[in-house]
Amino acid sequence: MSNTTNPNIKSDKPPIGNDKTGTIAAETTTVVSKNATASKTSAPKETAWQHWFGSPHEVKPGLLHRAYAVPSIIIGLLFTLGPMCVIVAFSFMSRPDMGGGVKFQFSTDAYEKLLFRHDFFGNRFFDTRYLEVFGTSLWQALLTTVVCVALAFPIALWMSMKSAKTQQILVLLVTIPFWTNLLVRTYAWMLILNENGPINWAANLLGLGKQQLLYTSFASVIGLIYTFLPFAILPMYSALSGFDFRLVEAAYDLGARKLTVMRRVILRAAMPGVMSGVALCFIPAFGSYVQPVLLGGGRVLMVGNLIASQFAEARNWPFGAALSTVILAITLLGAFLATALGGRASRKAGMTL
Amino acid sequence: MSMLHDDVDPKAVKYSDSEEFGALVAKTQAERAASGDDGAQMPEWLEDKKPDRPLSTRRSGNRDNTLKRFPAVGFLSVFVLAFLYVPMLIVVFFSFNGGRQALLWEGFSFRWYGEVFTNGAIIKATETSLIVAAIATALSTLLGVLYVLAIDHMSRAGSAIATALINASMLIPEIVLGVATMAFIRLIGMAPGYVPLVLAHTTFCIPFVVMPIRARLQTLDRACFEAAEDLGASGFTTVIRVTLPLLTPGVISGALMAFVVSMDDFMISNFLTTAGTTTLPIYIFSLIRKGVNPSINVVATLLLLLAIIITVTSTVLTNRKSK
Repeated sequence: MSNTTNPNIKSDKPPIGNDKTGTIAAETTTVVSKNATASKTSAPKETAWQHWFGSPHEVKPGLLHRAYAVPSIIIGLLFTLGPMCVIVAFSFMSRPDMGGGVKFQFSTDAYEKLLFRHDFFGNRFFDTRYLEVFGTSLWQALLTTVVCVALAFPIALWMSMKSAKTQQILVLLVTIPFWTNLLVRTYAWMLILNENGPINWAANLLGLGKQQLLYTSFASVIGLIYTFLPFAILPMYSALSGFDFRLVEAAYDLGARKLTVMRRVILRAAMPGVMSGVALCFIPAFGSYVQPVLLGGGRVLMVGNLIASQFAEARNWPFGAALSTVILAITLLGAFLATALGGRASRKAGMTL
Repeated sequence: MSMLHDDVDPKAVKYSDSEEFGALVAKTQAERAASGDDGAQMPEWLEDKKPDRPLSTRRSGNRDNTLKRFPAVGFLSVFVLAFLYVPMLIVVFFSFNGGRQALLWEGFSFRWYGEVFTNGAIIKATETSLIVAAIATALSTLLGVLYVLAIDHMSRAGSAIATALINASMLIPEIVLGVATMAFIRLIGMAPGYVPLVLAHTTFCIPFVVMPIRARLQTLDRACFEAAEDLGASGFTTVIRVTLPLLTPGVISGALMAFVVSMDDFMISNFLTTAGTTTLPIYIFSLIRKGVNPSINVVATLLLLLAIIITVTSTVLTNRKSK
């Protein structure tokens, strides 16, 4: 079971070690034996398919042939890639005369509707209504992300400085809200911000009078922050948990001030985590639906609500599909940027340490 | 000393020990010189003396360095933890309220628990959610295990594409995935109901299953599998009798996560259900929209309890050392 028994195993098969060198050695042995058999018989030709999707080597012990991965891939193709293709295709179709669904006729009306409006006589006007919805979403998501990252950084740092046992408990404490039902977490804030809720009760005692807190954009942002805070804490913690705090001591010994140490040593090590925290908060917050509906009431219209209403009440599927395509493009671009920046940050951190 | 910065507290640097150490050495040397011994043997106290520990905060739990320099960090952290837990505690507190109003405290009572457990609509919605979650968990766990065990045999490009495809459902905004799945099933002519619900849930549960199983597989010593095959086990027997038992903690924790994710899903289910297949989150959403209602407090408390039980179980399983 332990590593030490590994070299003692005498086997006619190439040993497959736990470590990288072992695996490489195993692979080269396999290749050599393959070549030996190949020279005796006819050389098997590698097809293009094998080149991209795996060479026809034997199955490693204890694992399965790659054909067993196919069901997962098929369900991924069907229920992730399939719907995405459909939604992009639908965005270029036209609206049927009545009811939901689409008419299979190419049109860019849906995208035009994003920016322009036609009056009764068919004149075209530039229309900012939908851009404003995007603006609200962007603003709410950005505010959420900034506050989440700002709150997550100290607790991630604090957690990473605790003993191993305490760290496990703290991770558990942060993970529990993460796994709690989204509606439950949102509902909790409806209770708190309610006009008879604890905050208004306290405000009343202080003589401030009742405040309208629920059904405001403030409530919506609070709900978003509350929902996505664990999404920011966990990746930042995992970036910092392996951090060697002797580097901080070294920085102090070299004469750095507190803020310099924070900025140039700790923050730099946390950077990959910060980047994935930003992505994990921003992407779902941008497309959120539950918090603006329940906490923002009718006052906060975000892209998520707009999309939902196109597929439900207003029934303009192509327009809903166009909105979906736009936020899909924005989030994928954001995710790509965060990964690229995070990768660069982690490489930088790796070089400095 | 003058080179050090003002905010470096010399006392925090624990090399003060070495002064003491130096004094002891000098004392022993003096004793030796007095006794005429030329100092060939090591004095007893020096044998027990351990080297000075490096100034690491990790694990050593050393209290007088890095932590103390950022007092705001601890304060903010406690504040954040309170921010995470106080709202949920308020919900739990009000679930024991006896009054008709959700927020007017009228004394402790289990009244609303009784009402929830006899409410037909809530029980029906919970049943639907449990059926969907159970099937989706079983399917996604099976597919996830097969996927993790097979992915090693793909080329680099193949596994990168497969991983991107599997994880895509976590990255795509839920609202988009919801409406897109609805459009998709309508296009292929599938009726909304249990089948698309289960399939969609399985799809977005798979990445949550794959994560812990993959992590577990990486910690295993592959020599075990080698040994099993050397002892004459067939490839399939090795998988069933060696790999899977060793993977069990990862598989259970993945299945638990899949179950929670499926039970919690509102956005995607919302677009795939019909009146007959209302899941619990959809029912709760409709209740909340009608207004704050005391029975929601109880359902919320029970769901919180479920999250706590599952997270704790999963953490215990993941952190347990492999035997």
